[in-house]
Amino acid sequence: MTARADGRRTLDRPGRTAFVYRPTASPQEAAAWTRRQVAMTNLRTVVGRAYPRIIGLRRDKSWVFFEVLLPFLATSAFVFVYRALQAPPQYIGFVVLGGAMTAFWLNVIWMMAQQLWWEKSQGNLELYFAAPMHIMAVLFGMAFGGFVMSSTRAAAVLVIATTVYNVSFSVDQWVLLIGVFLLTLGALYGLGMMLASLFLMWGREAWHLTQLLVEPVYFVSGLNFPIARLGVLGSVAISILPLAVGLDAMRQLAFAGAAYPIGTPSPAIEALILGAMVVVFLVLARWTLLVLERLARSEGRLSVRWQ
Amino acid sequence: MTGLASPEWGGFDPARTRGGGWREMRHSFVTAIRLGWKMEANWTDPFLFLIYSVAKPLASALILVVMLDVISGGAKPEYRAFVIVGSALWSFVLSGVSGLAWMILDDRERYRMLKYIYVSPSDFLAVVFGRGVARIGVGAMGAAITLAVGVTFLNVPFDVGRIDWPLLATGMILGVTSILAIGLIMAAICMQTRQDSWSYPEAAAGALFLVSGVVFPLSVLPAAVQGVGLLSPLTWWIEGVRLALFPGGLSAVGGPGSLFGQLTGTAAPTSSEIVLVLLGTGAVATLAAVAVFRTSDRRAKDRGLFDQTTGS
Repeated sequence: MTARADGRRTLDRPGRTAFVYRPTASPQEAAAWTRRQVAMTNLRTVVGRAYPRIIGLRRDKSWVFFEVLLPFLATSAFVFVYRALQAPPQYIGFVVLGGAMTAFWLNVIWMMAQQLWWEKSQGNLELYFAAPMHIMAVLFGMAFGGFVMSSTRAAAVLVIATTVYNVSFSVDQWVLLIGVFLLTLGALYGLGMMLASLFLMWGREAWHLTQLLVEPVYFVSGLNFPIARLGVLGSVAISILPLAVGLDAMRQLAFAGAAYPIGTPSPAIEALILGAMVVVFLVLARWTLLVLERLARSEGRLSVRWQ
Repeated sequence: MTGLASPEWGGFDPARTRGGGWREMRHSFVTAIRLGWKMEANWTDPFLFLIYSVAKPLASALILVVMLDVISGGAKPEYRAFVIVGSALWSFVLSGVSGLAWMILDDRERYRMLKYIYVSPSDFLAVVFGRGVARIGVGAMGAAITLAVGVTFLNVPFDVGRIDWPLLATGMILGVTSILAIGLIMAAICMQTRQDSWSYPEAAAGALFLVSGVVFPLSVLPAAVQGVGLLSPLTWWIEGVRLALFPGGLSAVGGPGSLFGQLTGTAAPTSSEIVLVLLGTGAVATLAAVAVFRTSDRRAKDRGLFDQTTGS
């Protein structure tokens, strides 16, 4: 029998195997993990949960057609609406920027918010809770894998559409633009982590909520037009929706000096709003997860599928 | 002989494998519609269900209305009617195309019932269509309310007395058939793909949105893309319904600089031309859909895809 087959990691440490971190005298002592042990397990959880999303890109190539080419055509439809209206060229740029950012939003609602409910339906959720890892690590893994998946689609749509429709960006503050982009992603995935727990509690309604969070959110986020046009509704969206505030800030930074109705806070202030959203959503995600875990354990609903 | 027991003479009765023909197929279809409707609607009260059903098409229409107002400042009322009708009708397409595909994904990945449905005596195609029709019903509600909101709150000029009812009825029957055909193609594709395919039907509908003259006239597209649009039954369905509801309004197919105008020498298609082309393109789409579905069905059986579940 080889060292790997009998579970031994190192032959020079007697009693230590892939399944036993250190030899212990009792189960209680074995359950008292070191900080390093906890951290490494959670890190492995993040990598393990991100793995199928990243490796899936290579194994099933159908996404190239369905998640790059077709969304590019959908974005093009809005470009042609503006062309039919003979709109100024910066509006075409707004559509392209919005089209790229939808990749992240769709990923957040389909593959973050809905995921725990989906895992419950598939029977995996009880295993997640039973495994010796923090469930936040699972959510971070989902977010990282989803971010990689969506980045490919967003970059492809941005590059292809910019080239085909001859969009010219005018950026004065690259650092702030990159910072706003990263903060937007942080806030989006933080929101997704929070919604994951809420959707799980809402059960079957989650599916319909996912539907509700696509076009209506595009509308109130000013996906293809300056959000200032929406007045109070736009202001409310900027204060609660990362997509709305992130898009508006990126629009201001990527089309500096372009003429269009602005009337929203400056990009620096919007970056602060996004920073606050990152913190708030992550804290709320942690809290909702605790509530969910308590409810799930006390009511035994983790293994009840399709509710 | 009683119930499911063997015939009295003890052998195998081949008549039992033939099924009940049209009567049984109709029964499967109606049952699938009822099941689909209950799955869609029975999780909440009707009011909340209505909100969920209309929010999506209404928001789509509002995005376009705001885009229009940002640029034209409300100076093009005829274009507003054009956009509202196109957006409202598109909710049929979204629900029809995604309905059939999601039926496959739902029952395979979520409820894990697809293999049992497949081996049941019901005709599989009838079940798939039935579930799709239920979702089209939801889309129809969204379309009706979007149109109502457009007329009531967005000043879309509408006169019930001017509706061309025969064109509307013919267009809707042929159009919904074509939508189901396209949905069947998506269902066939989703049979072959992984769990993440939930967004594929909407992506496909988004691409068709570009070439079907839904919210802008085809004449703004390059000639080759206009050609693709003219081959789509959805283009002619929307054109027909738009003409039936708003006679004399803006045409998506014709107009200055359109490929249709260059090919036919006329400004816009007539009602009879629309019905004829819709019939032809719809028939081609339906035949193609059945062929693609049968091929996918064989491949799925061959590779064991009916009970495949994936994760991501």
